[in-house]
Amino acid sequence: MATNTFHCSVITPERAVLETEATFVAFPAWDGEVGILHDRAPLLFKMGAGELRVESPEGNQVLFVDGGFAQMVDNRLTLLTEQAKKIAEIDTAAVERALAEARKLPMVSDAEFAARQRAVKSGEVQLHLAAKQGR
Amino acid sequence: MANRRVLVKRRKSVRNIRKITRTMQLIATARFQAAFNRAVATRPYTEKLAELVADLSRAAGDVDHPLLKTHEDVKRAAVVVLTADRGLAGGYNASVLRTAVTHLDQQAGQGIANDVHMVGKKGISYFRFLRREVAEQTTGIGDKPRFEQVEPIANALIDRFVRGEIASAHVVYMKFLSAGQQRPVAVQILPLKPETAEGKEAAKPVEYEFSPDPQQLLDELLPATVRARLFQAFNDAAVSEQVARMVAMKAATDAAGDMIKALTREYNRARQTQITMELLDIVGGANALS
Repeated sequence: MATNTFHCSVITPERAVLETEATFVAFPAWDGEVGILHDRAPLLFKMGAGELRVESPEGNQVLFVDGGFAQMVDNRLTLLTEQAKKIAEIDTAAVERALAEARKLPMVSDAEFAARQRAVKSGEVQLHLAAKQGR
Repeated sequence: MANRRVLVKRRKSVRNIRKITRTMQLIATARFQAAFNRAVATRPYTEKLAELVADLSRAAGDVDHPLLKTHEDVKRAAVVVLTADRGLAGGYNASVLRTAVTHLDQQAGQGIANDVHMVGKKGISYFRFLRREVAEQTTGIGDKPRFEQVEPIANALIDRFVRGEIASAHVVYMKFLSAGQQRPVAVQILPLKPETAEGKEAAKPVEYEFSPDPQQLLDELLPATVRARLFQAFNDAAVSEQVARMVAMKAATDAAGDMIKALTREYNRARQTQITMELLDIVGGANALS
């Protein structure tokens, strides 16, 4: 059976992390996970920090993405994010250090609070994902 | 006799210099390739962002965002100047700094004081020499700028701009046009110039499903655009630096080669002269005896 696939690319400012045909992708939107199948209607979503799962005929991949934007047009899903890592690339020690730093950030103004919230969330999610992979 | 030894010595030192410059040229060539590939790899992100902004502003209608506003009454601005940490890159640092100084003077002429954020050791020491003030400085970006290094600089600019402390932000860097051509430019990154009008106008409008609504998405997208643009400037500067060094070192290697040739010729002539003299001496001596 010719499986229905769509193109999925994950792009960071530094490089294209992933370019693949996919049968299913689940990405973390800002308010919850969104699953994408082929022929999905066009969407433009804000992403949160979390787990990106890509299922493709060649195999499944799991990445960590830290915010950004998702766009689906004409069976092309583009995920723009400022940070994307394979789970195996997560350096738990470094993340723990960053997380400890983040927890010490001031949270007086709204902006500071939001920044701290973001940094902490990003760290926690990375640790969670790493733990899930049994590392 | 003494002359000959001096020539040999000089030739030796020029040879050593040529060895060094050739090595530097080769290193710069390799780094240029790497930096160029990296710079190309950043392009999809920036292009996609611009496309999203265009799509969104079409959906959101009238775009009114703090990053697009102009503050005419504010008499302060910020400039980020990208120079190299190291010299021996021909006119690279000098021409970036010249452009920066021109830009600063021009702004000062309009009564706008600038806070300079200097990147690169060469720029820092040059401004110290000029006794110009540098508000902030960064070194050690090297030829592989990483997004984490650039992000805080961009965020600080965005913060200050939104708070109305600065009227504009420029970045002065060497724009990479092609391997044979780079030009120092001062580019405005804040307020954001809406590129939305031109460019991807031809694309057919797509009925998107937005989440959250377009206005909120724009709030996130525009700062991301600023960050991406600044990052691209850093990448461009890194590529240009390597090209400049490559060209400068090629010229130096060639010049050293010419010099060696000239010195060799001079040396040979000196040697020949000496031999002739010695012969004359011998012949003269023999003639005197007979």
